[in-house]
Amino acid sequence: MEHVIEMLNITKVFPGVIANDRVTLQVKPGEIHALLGENGAGKSTLMSVLFGLYQPEEGTIKIRGKEVKISNPNDANALGIGMVHQHFKLVENFTVLQNIILGIEETQYGVLQMKEARQRVVNLSNQYGLRINPDALIEDISVGMQQRVEILKMLYRNNDILIFDEPTAVLTPQEIEELMKIMKLLISEGKSIVFITHKLNEIKAVADRVSVLRQGKYIGTVDVSDTSKEQMSEMMVGRPISLTLDKDEANPTTPVLEVSHLSVAGHHATKDAVKDVSFTVRSGEILCVAGIEGNGQSELVYAITGLVKQKQGTIKLNGKDISVASIRERNTSGLSHIPEDRHKHGLVLEFDLAENLALQTYFDKSLQNHGFINFDARTKRANQLIDQYDIRAGRRAKTNARSMSGGNQQKAIIAREFERQPSCIVAVQPTRGLDVGAIEYIHKQLVKARDEGKAVLLISLELNEVLDVSDRIIVMYEGEVVGELNPKNTTQQELGLYMSGSKRDKEESHA
Amino acid sequence: MSIPFLVQQTMFFAIPLLVVALGGMYSEQSGVINIGLEGIMIFSTYMGILVLNMFVGTIPPQFLFILALLVAGISGVIFSSLHAYASVYQKANQVISGTALNLLAPAFFNFTMRNATGSNQLYFLNQYRIAKVPLLGDIPLIGELFFTNTYISTFIGLLILAISVFVFYKTRFGLRLRACGEHPQAADAAGINVYRMRTYGVLISGLLAGMGGLILTIPTTTAFGGSVTGYGFLALAVLIFGQWKPARIVFAAFFFGTMKTIAATYTSIPLLVGLGIPGYLFKSIPYLTTILVLAFTSKKSVAPKALGEPYDKGKR
Amino acid sequence: MLKNINQDALKTIFASLVSILLGLLMGLIILLITNPNSAFLGFQRALLGGFNRLPRSLGEMLYQATPILLTGLSVGFAFKTGLFNIGASGQFIVGGFAAIYIGVRWTFLPPSIAWVVGLLGAMIAGALWAGISGALKAYRNVNEVITSIMLNYIAVFLVNFLVVATVFNQTRNESLSPTNAFIPRGFFDSLFPRTGVHMGFVIAVIVAIMMWVILEKTTFGFELRAVGFNRNAARYAGVNEKRNIVLSMMIAGALSGLGGALLYLSATGVHIEVVDVIPLQGFNGIPVALLASSNPLGIIFSSLLLAHLNTGGFYMQTLFPTEIINIMVSVIIYFSAFAMIMKSLLDKFLKRKGGKSA
Repeated sequence: MEHVIEMLNITKVFPGVIANDRVTLQVKPGEIHALLGENGAGKSTLMSVLFGLYQPEEGTIKIRGKEVKISNPNDANALGIGMVHQHFKLVENFTVLQNIILGIEETQYGVLQMKEARQRVVNLSNQYGLRINPDALIEDISVGMQQRVEILKMLYRNNDILIFDEPTAVLTPQEIEELMKIMKLLISEGKSIVFITHKLNEIKAVADRVSVLRQGKYIGTVDVSDTSKEQMSEMMVGRPISLTLDKDEANPTTPVLEVSHLSVAGHHATKDAVKDVSFTVRSGEILCVAGIEGNGQSELVYAITGLVKQKQGTIKLNGKDISVASIRERNTSGLSHIPEDRHKHGLVLEFDLAENLALQTYFDKSLQNHGFINFDARTKRANQLIDQYDIRAGRRAKTNARSMSGGNQQKAIIAREFERQPSCIVAVQPTRGLDVGAIEYIHKQLVKARDEGKAVLLISLELNEVLDVSDRIIVMYEGEVVGELNPKNTTQQELGLYMSGSKRDKEESHA
Repeated sequence: MSIPFLVQQTMFFAIPLLVVALGGMYSEQSGVINIGLEGIMIFSTYMGILVLNMFVGTIPPQFLFILALLVAGISGVIFSSLHAYASVYQKANQVISGTALNLLAPAFFNFTMRNATGSNQLYFLNQYRIAKVPLLGDIPLIGELFFTNTYISTFIGLLILAISVFVFYKTRFGLRLRACGEHPQAADAAGINVYRMRTYGVLISGLLAGMGGLILTIPTTTAFGGSVTGYGFLALAVLIFGQWKPARIVFAAFFFGTMKTIAATYTSIPLLVGLGIPGYLFKSIPYLTTILVLAFTSKKSVAPKALGEPYDKGKR
Repeated sequence: MLKNINQDALKTIFASLVSILLGLLMGLIILLITNPNSAFLGFQRALLGGFNRLPRSLGEMLYQATPILLTGLSVGFAFKTGLFNIGASGQFIVGGFAAIYIGVRWTFLPPSIAWVVGLLGAMIAGALWAGISGALKAYRNVNEVITSIMLNYIAVFLVNFLVVATVFNQTRNESLSPTNAFIPRGFFDSLFPRTGVHMGFVIAVIVAIMMWVILEKTTFGFELRAVGFNRNAARYAGVNEKRNIVLSMMIAGALSGLGGALLYLSATGVHIEVVDVIPLQGFNGIPVALLASSNPLGIIFSSLLLAHLNTGGFYMQTLFPTEIINIMVSVIIYFSAFAMIMKSLLDKFLKRKGGKSA
């Protein structure tokens, strides 16, 4: 057969946006086919259509040459299609085994038959080298193991068309290598793989061909071996894009943020999420905390910004001890926070843009009068920020925050946090989920802030971002600072070693 | 009074609480908040007693009681389907929908009763008390505590508990139901119909709350006035205190059952009367202790993750 | 720009109206099933409500609206902060008792200010009672629905005890008359003689407007709404959400308590009966708040609507039990839960007709 998957002229529409606009995808049997595009290009949507989670408005799908209709994941399964989602679809308080069998449980008169299932899972796990513990709870295992569970789900269902949605977003370089090996093994066993990504390195490492989507439209398909990263990038974005950031040398001066012997309790009372961490961020520098998600970075930030109380240790801002200060006090003393989750912490989605922009400053004398809001002043200030930071919002200050795109929501948060003229900016994954244009913009803003003398503490999981943007890097592993690196002298490989705990600096250095 | 009497009374209060709380567990573990348990209890008890009065004398008492329990259960299923429809298919605010049930049931009772009889007290003949279970009632100690002066509903309640625990942990249905309350997207991707499972969860809560209403009313009064004195809400407290798991729910139900017994029978306990606490405050004991217990146990309360969030397949 | 904001409010009002119509329709159907001959007459009386026997019925309606306007504000205000104040009844009776006590026992106060003190005392009592739920929620994460319900029962028991202990009218098993603190009737005396309505209604409306101003125009209201929409973001922004949750419940409690005072300090002969019954006015606040989407100005109208229907029920009780009104109200509430869906249906309907989408 020529193609194992054919998606022809697929159109999928959501209220207000055409996610897929007559997109065509053809995958050959036994190949690793990459689906490349920016965030929001429509890759996940297209695959969700293939997996039966969405129904297309137009278009046909052929599997192994036969036209089919995939109305739900069960249909997809019956056709041998399986999907590992970007956000794992695992039930946290179930075991690995329970998650794998969910939906196709072996039963006798409705009663679960776990023994046979367990045996099958163990066999598959051995066959493909996917190490798991069938009785562990999902909430207790590492992200890498969770991904292996997702892969086992597909294999348990005898899927031979495997879709991976951004599988490497949460892995270390070493784990990524392991995943690539697993994929090649799967291909040798007769499977076909579609692999959604926006990372050019990985496409170059494993993919045979790559199809590119841009803003919902299909751009083209090329052979990976014949195409350079720059060419792929241009197809993805529509214009030549420099893959490195332009920035001057840093000139750090006085210490602004001093963190000393900070320890923060973890979820389970036995282990601390942050263990005796110390570092300083100076005015005029960008210090990046690198590390795999879940190694204490979130808790570190929560402690610094006041969302969580630390077990021990001190935090000083411009020499002032803010270790026990309230969040409001920290915010008004010069600390700004661009949070990890813009929907959870950064914005009140039901408020409009002006209200969100005033979220940190509504009590300021300029915006209120004896407790009564000064709406004119607030709107005026909001419009100033909208123009200054180029925030696209249909109804300007009155736009409802929920209706704004992710990129513009993030711009609004940045506008708000920068406008307060902080001395220290804590930015956690500020470019997560954004398109290349927005990423470029935010990186420029961070460097600009740094050049203006601010101290920037950047938490990032994207190794490119870490190496490009920072002036100095510290790596966190299991709550401790295990290394301090100069971005100019290190590589993604070396960073990967620190991040996975395989390497650490010997001396207890005060970073 | 005597210990056996206290134990028997406690069973009358704890068992219905347990059954209704288990019902609430099915609904909430599937992801749907059901604060309409009170209303469901009221409506179903009404239906159950009507059946009792309709057939009294023509069917042997214990069989009639079981029939009434079935009718109450089915009434509960029907009444709760309003909530299921609103919450699952219309993605309505689940608290509002539950409140509507709580308002509708007593209004329906009062309206139809007053229209038909002019009074709002529904009397029934209580011929269901089992003075002593043959054989089992003769066992020393245990016989007197659990097998004398009891009702068949107590044993049915315990049977419901056993079945619930089994279904919850050992069956495919139980596994899928819990998945829908924790991570409906995962269940959906695994090919499970989340809407259908949640509907089952709510209907089961209707079934159990319905039966629980009758189980409460028969042993404790001779006239039903269209109220279950807040039992549906107490059951919610038991559910939360029980952290949505059967084992702890049993403990919580018996704890509150005991408190309720003390409040209802304190006049016959010389020790308590001697404390000199005024009667009105004694009646507050079940409610006060509920608050106190929850104050100390709610810090680490872990509800099903997707509880209360209507599931929308189409959401990006 | 302004047009778009009003569109959303209009859609909410439309959804509420549809709920009301469906509720009324259901009531009519039940009446027809029960007694087809009197059904339409009964329904007419229900619909006429406060206009059945002017001016008296209108006065009755305003009198009835007063307490539920406040309990509606109480429930609605708490909703805005993300809390479900199902304990309005308990706060209501606690406030009512405080007012009666002041009216009966604090006779050293001249009547012209005794009622004001009574109102204040009721507000403080209600605030403290609700504060218990608020504090438990804020500091110990206890579900406020459960604590509120528990406190409703405890309030009834406690108030019964206190009435017997301090202001008991033994022959009638109820509280004594707080004659020293009756709320003045003002101009209502000439407009609606022989009814119970008094200045309390005016006070209630003014309070409603005040609540609207607080929520929409002040920084405090801004904080409360932020906490209600997104507790995490509010915390991130430095708002002391724990303190605000407690304050919000206390304000809600004060509102319900005030409602109790406005009822029990009316010179209509209404007393607290020493029975184990939770006052309905608290629960009636829930439909009032829900129908108005918790908007204080809207609550003025929804409380009048509910009072209108209840008065209608009173005038048709010779034909049908008044509970038919409760049935109608519960159906209205049920359908109001679908408001979201109705709004989106309305959106689709408008789009199909070629109109601009909001």
